[in-house]
Amino acid sequence: MMQIRFADYGKMKNKKSQLKIQQMAFMLMAVTLFFVLAGMFVLVYRFSQVKQSASVLEEQNSKLLVTKLANSPEFSCGNAFGSSRISCIDADKAMMLKRNIDKYTNFWGVASIEIRKVYPAGGNSTCTLLNYQNCSIIKVLSKNVNLLPASSNFVSLCKKDVYNEEVYDKCELAVFIVSSEDKRTK
Amino acid sequence: MNRKFSKQGALEISFPWLFAIVAGIFILFLSIYGVTRFIKTEQTTIDAKTGKEIGVLLNPLETSFESGAVTYFILPVSTRIYNKCDSIGDFGKQGIQISQMSFNKWTETNVNVNFQNKYIFSKDYAEGKKFYVFSKPFQFPFKVADLMYMTSSLDRYCFADAPGEISEELANLNQENILVENCSEEDIDVCFGGINCDINVNYDMGVVEKEGDSIYFYGDALMYAAIFSDEYVYECQLNRLMKRVSSLSLIYNDKASFISRTGCYSNLDLSFLSGAAESFSNSADISSIGFIADDVGLKNDANSVCRLW
Repeated sequence: MMQIRFADYGKMKNKKSQLKIQQMAFMLMAVTLFFVLAGMFVLVYRFSQVKQSASVLEEQNSKLLVTKLANSPEFSCGNAFGSSRISCIDADKAMMLKRNIDKYTNFWGVASIEIRKVYPAGGNSTCTLLNYQNCSIIKVLSKNVNLLPASSNFVSLCKKDVYNEEVYDKCELAVFIVSSEDKRTK
Repeated sequence: MNRKFSKQGALEISFPWLFAIVAGIFILFLSIYGVTRFIKTEQTTIDAKTGKEIGVLLNPLETSFESGAVTYFILPVSTRIYNKCDSIGDFGKQGIQISQMSFNKWTETNVNVNFQNKYIFSKDYAEGKKFYVFSKPFQFPFKVADLMYMTSSLDRYCFADAPGEISEELANLNQENILVENCSEEDIDVCFGGINCDINVNYDMGVVEKEGDSIYFYGDALMYAAIFSDEYVYECQLNRLMKRVSSLSLIYNDKASFISRTGCYSNLDLSFLSGAAESFSNSADISSIGFIADDVGLKNDANSVCRLW
């Protein structure tokens, strides 16, 4: 039967063996530390990649979402201005949505939704209920976060208006702009 | 080397060697544990990423108007897509949870990818590599959302005796796992008036019977939803849809007052519809709310100048 016997260090005459033990202990610690640090670097790198792919997905989402959003029930004209049309935004409804936006803060998963009138040009005034007839930008949603590059789409912006006491549909050219939150900077 | 056999045959190991062996084993186990944890984290990351990608891919399906739109996606390995519906909150949440086959086992993850603006109707989980999704707008009486029906290519549905309109609509989808003729015995039978089928649809009464349960629908979009999803998923998604109906009703109500400044009067009061949708508890309520919605819809259609939607 095999037995294990420890070397008797008390009888060692030279210090070389003790030095070797110390060397080995330091070496093992250094190796462990190296692997731990290397592992941490890998984890940090992977984590940054995950954050980056999350941002890429957010950006893709907002690109695809911009067309979808313009046709979603909260924005689309439906049949309110004659027949049903694609990429037509009901400005009256968008203003009412703006008033009730608290419920919709996280609904579409984007950080900013803006409708900017392009033609006829009308300055840079943001729409409120008071200046609604003479404004250019409806800021439906505006979160106070860092934003990714915006995705946009040209749309018709229609509303009910009155001329000579006659109600008519007023449609203008606008850009629908959507931005997602940049999660890399968090 | 400080290792030798003594005269008695005992193995003598010096302390540095023993220390090196013990420390080596410790480091080795630590590394194996670390790598195992890392692989699990990576699997969870892949599952979450796949879930998000599926959600993003479904966006183009949500711009349809009248007819149904269909798409499919193929995943590289066998996958289970869990439909996690949560009706709590202003609009509830649509969760997608992914579990993929890895080393002959399903990966375990609790990571849900959530979307508030999607409504996916499917079984509790759909399993396979190829998945079909078709969508249809849900009008109640205004457009509320595009409903998405997700099925695995492994589940084939047979609509052999469906009424003409439905049969035509499904045939036009060209979805490989939805058949309107030439069905086989393994297919899931969907009968309209038949008996002893896997799914029985009473179209006039608005009831779908499956696995001994009765679930109620109103309109074709909800009928497909009831056919393709489990009862729990259907009830939860319907609850979420009613929350959106309620919210949209209030927006239209506000719009009605807002456009009245131009002399445009819709003469519609949507607060009743909003209240009814808000108090929705289960699918048995859907037909009574549906009648209110139809009434409001007719009044809106009759107004040619000041329609709200």
